[in-house]
Amino acid sequence: MNTLTKIVIPAIGLAVALLLAFVAYFVLQSWWSQPPAVLGFGDGPEQPIAFPHQVHINVAGLDCQFCHRSVSAEETAGIPAVNQCRFCHDFDRITGAKSESSSAETEIKKLIGTLGETPDPVNWVRVHRLPDHVQFLHAPHIQQGFSCSTCHGDIASMKVVEQVRNLKMRDCVDCHRENSAPTDCTTCHY
Amino acid sequence: MVSTKTKKRPDHKWGMVIDLDRCTACQACVIACQSENNIPINQESTFLEGRAIEWIRIERYWEGTYPNVKARFLPMLCQHCDNAPCESVCPVYATYHNNEGLNVQVYNRCVGTRFCGNNCPYHARLFNYWEPVWPEELKNQLNPDVTVRSRGIMEKCTMCIQRIRRATRGGKEVADQSFNPACVQACPTDAMVFGDLNNSQTQVSKKWEDERGYRVLEVLGTNPSVKYLKQVEVDA
Amino acid sequence: MALSRRQFLKWAGATSLGAVIFNGCRVPDHEIQVQSPVELPEDLVTGRDNYYATTVKLGAASEGLLVRVMEGRAKKIEGNPDYPMNTGKHGIRSESLLQALYHPDRIKHPMVRIAKGGPFRKIEWPEAIERLSTILKEAAPESVILATPPLRGQLADVVATFSDSYGSEHVAFDTLGDSVLRRAFSDLFGTDTIPDFDIANAGLILSVGADFLGTWGDTTHFMRGYGEFRQGKERSRGKLIHIDARYSATAAVADKWIYANPGTEGLLAMAMIYTIISEGLGDSVVAKQLTGGESIENAYNNFQPSVVASQIGVSAENIMALAREFADSKNGPALAIGGGLAGAQANGLFNLHAIYALNALVGSVNHKGGLIFNPNPHSRNIPGATLNKWKHILSDMRSGKTKVLLVRDANPAYGLPRSINPREALSNLETIVSFSSFLDETTEMADLILPGSSPLEEWGSDEPNPGPGYTTIAFQQPVVNRFHNTISFGDALLQTSKSLELGLPWVDMRDALRSSAKKLHELNAGSVKQPTFEEFWKRSLERGGWWNMDSTYKASAQLPPLAKKAPKVNSVDSEKYPFYLVPFEGVGIGAGEYSHLPWAQSAPDPLTSAAWTTWVELNPITAKELDVKDHDIVLVESNTTNAIRGLVYINPATPPQVVAIPMGQGHRAFTSYAAKRGANVLDIIEPTEEVITGSFAWGGTRVNVSRTNRKGDLPKLEGIEPARQLPHEELILVHRDHHAGSDGHKHH
Repeated sequence: MNTLTKIVIPAIGLAVALLLAFVAYFVLQSWWSQPPAVLGFGDGPEQPIAFPHQVHINVAGLDCQFCHRSVSAEETAGIPAVNQCRFCHDFDRITGAKSESSSAETEIKKLIGTLGETPDPVNWVRVHRLPDHVQFLHAPHIQQGFSCSTCHGDIASMKVVEQVRNLKMRDCVDCHRENSAPTDCTTCHY
Repeated sequence: MVSTKTKKRPDHKWGMVIDLDRCTACQACVIACQSENNIPINQESTFLEGRAIEWIRIERYWEGTYPNVKARFLPMLCQHCDNAPCESVCPVYATYHNNEGLNVQVYNRCVGTRFCGNNCPYHARLFNYWEPVWPEELKNQLNPDVTVRSRGIMEKCTMCIQRIRRATRGGKEVADQSFNPACVQACPTDAMVFGDLNNSQTQVSKKWEDERGYRVLEVLGTNPSVKYLKQVEVDA
Repeated sequence: MALSRRQFLKWAGATSLGAVIFNGCRVPDHEIQVQSPVELPEDLVTGRDNYYATTVKLGAASEGLLVRVMEGRAKKIEGNPDYPMNTGKHGIRSESLLQALYHPDRIKHPMVRIAKGGPFRKIEWPEAIERLSTILKEAAPESVILATPPLRGQLADVVATFSDSYGSEHVAFDTLGDSVLRRAFSDLFGTDTIPDFDIANAGLILSVGADFLGTWGDTTHFMRGYGEFRQGKERSRGKLIHIDARYSATAAVADKWIYANPGTEGLLAMAMIYTIISEGLGDSVVAKQLTGGESIENAYNNFQPSVVASQIGVSAENIMALAREFADSKNGPALAIGGGLAGAQANGLFNLHAIYALNALVGSVNHKGGLIFNPNPHSRNIPGATLNKWKHILSDMRSGKTKVLLVRDANPAYGLPRSINPREALSNLETIVSFSSFLDETTEMADLILPGSSPLEEWGSDEPNPGPGYTTIAFQQPVVNRFHNTISFGDALLQTSKSLELGLPWVDMRDALRSSAKKLHELNAGSVKQPTFEEFWKRSLERGGWWNMDSTYKASAQLPPLAKKAPKVNSVDSEKYPFYLVPFEGVGIGAGEYSHLPWAQSAPDPLTSAAWTTWVELNPITAKELDVKDHDIVLVESNTTNAIRGLVYINPATPPQVVAIPMGQGHRAFTSYAAKRGANVLDIIEPTEEVITGSFAWGGTRVNVSRTNRKGDLPKLEGIEPARQLPHEELILVHRDHHAGSDGHKHH
């Protein structure tokens, strides 16, 4: 009886308190910024084809705008069509790519499903998403001379794309203030 | 490297002139606005409850009775008052006057006190008492440039700020009549003219000086950005 | 938030708190995915909008459109500034095309009825075409009838060619009809097309019965001219006088509205003609033609103003003053427009003859500010068949002479007067095949449905009638891919014709349009001239069509003599039925063809601000006499055996002897937006025919109104207080302009 009241119950109480503290920390961190990188929340989502930006930027030497073509003129950067991949990759065999591993070959072969009479599009999983009440345009930011990595981080070193900045409103407004960009509400909310 | 020079938007002042001698109350502006701005569909029940949302509406006033009767039409929308009674009463600063002369509404700040709607002498402000719903297929028509409002948010005419933004992107010069709000673009009799009042050469600036011009409830001191041209009556 | 949904689910499932948060933060699946298509069409960039030109025929109107398309979805309709009819503007009905395209209740795929009266079963297109071909092969062509709306442009040619080759009859259906109008023009001016009204340059417009700024004719086109007519630069302000039994939007903006008893519009016009000719005003050559060479007293004794004044309800002095003003050339060109209620009478043709003859009498034919005629179209122009014709069709259905009905966008089950029992006749048919996009009353009775596409998904063309005064051919192209498993009506006919081996020269509607376009290209004239056909094709599609301002037409200058007596018309007991029934088109829903579109339903009526239902407009004194108040439910009966109920709207502008009721409601089907609302005025309209053309005289019914003891609630935009401006708070100011000679204008 004594063991129960003196050790076990306080121990359970402590565990519950620690758990609640963790939950509170997790929720508050997620709310005000980004979820902490625990329990797999720090990784970028798994994509249907494991496209490595690292390889394409560092090894192939591609610029962001080679694929994300509408970024300097439109609202979105634009995900390229699958045909863009065929600039270099012939889907029957691997050309133009020095595959370090057979996993690259596996991934490229997934594109074969996009050929033929009824091609399947590739359903990428969105990494960056702003709420519906934000009208964000890429074009003015690129035209001001900002590079993609300012907000998207060092994509060149990423095998799997993950979100590095929390992109909450405070994040945007801070940067706007620093750069004398308009900060009135209807810049983004209309 | 980040550019240290920000492009300044040339300061426009958007205004509108509505010619009451041309308006035929055809409702083309009403429906064009609803299409452009993702306005919830006004069902029969919405009308019965007196909660129909029309950012622009055609008011009809009677004079006399048959056989000496006359109906007069007044297209009424947010007047974008320079001295707006609605702006100073919002407890969360969800509505303010921007640098282009528009009274803007920030949907995500609005908490739904409806004090602004109460203060507006033109009844230009509409409130979403219920969650707007569209059948799934009709959602395909919604305009991605305009935020879809949920329940509890006040809304009103924005002079199609999304079109203003599209036209003035990059701070480039905007030619007069190169774009118009949806209502102005639809109006078949050309009763509505929109443009930059800061530029004396625009059509709207010229019409602003028309001798028939007046502003509705001007005595209240709201200083609207919308002017009306008096209807003409002849000895008939 | 960069978390995988699967992970969140696992975690959230562990705690109830998580479940609550998850539901609150739910993001739809399709927003977490970003799709990479295999090929990126050059116009598919997220956030970029593209505009495609197309056209639509909406009843009489022809609107050229630019449709804003984003990521393959049509978002907004705008007018095409290039197209001569609407020059960049558009109305409620064309905007509502978006809702027709994305309507939740559209028929999404072909269907066949398992057994008579049973449910529908989904089938595929090849089977649908085969079933239709079998039906047509097995039926005798004379027992098959194809019903469509009135047709123009490419579809008219395809449908007519199909019917001719197969041997069936093709008939067009249109509730209100314009046969009287067309006949008036053909009798007076020898033309098969409707002229354009040069409103922008007219000095004085007299419109009789035609709500041309509200619901009659090509209102968007007329309004383009009206703006100019009122406040155009470099011209003086025009004057509009409107004569009608209901105070419509046109009446409201007119400088003067004159009430005339329905059916007496022709008498009024003849009395004006009498005045003009007998006072030596107007053109003496035309005067001689109209009187057949006789003296005015001999020819038109019956129409002296003093003789007809009491019948019309307008004093003789006012008639003569009106006539003198109309003939006074210092007011600028005078233009008389007639239609609507004036033509929808048993003596409708007599009425319109007289009204339009006024134009000739004052020199407004083939002249600026008057009637500008249009050349004959390149393609067929198929008007709605008369009521008389439809009565014969129904009787053929009853007798079994007609066994098969093919129908597209025509709804005789709803749109014919109930007293001739259209539903009962239709139910006698062996087979009904519908190509419509919605389950309207007629399509609900169908055995086989081959659903057609919406106008934004189809190829075709339109030749406006009335046109702008010169040859105009609008091109229609799909602005989005098919949204459902439908094909265009024209394509369905052409595929069937191939299966029946009829030998038609076209594979599909695009092919048909291209072959018509080739002929235009070869003309090497007009708004698009290009060295090769492909460049011509592309350029015409970009501009929205092809028109040739040099291709005009002058109407005959020889007018026939007018009738010396008004035709005798039967009338019902005016003691039993003391009121004139004035049915009018809804500003959005028309006569019921657009009731399935929510924007059309929710567009408030300009005068009453009511929407979505059927109301009965009563004069305030009449309401008192009937002991009814606003929103009471009244019973309206006519000499048919039917009655309808409606909500009272006390309208200060309704004459005491008139009861005005909007059309378009009372549907039993036709999607949830149309069905089970209000009442169908066609239930009580007598199936009277115009005496010469057999056209539907929908304006000649008399009714009785009585109170029920029930009250309702009227959906309308205005509140419960009568909308009158307060003396100290005038919202609408008026500039009072007095005639020249006074001390100028007084400001209000």
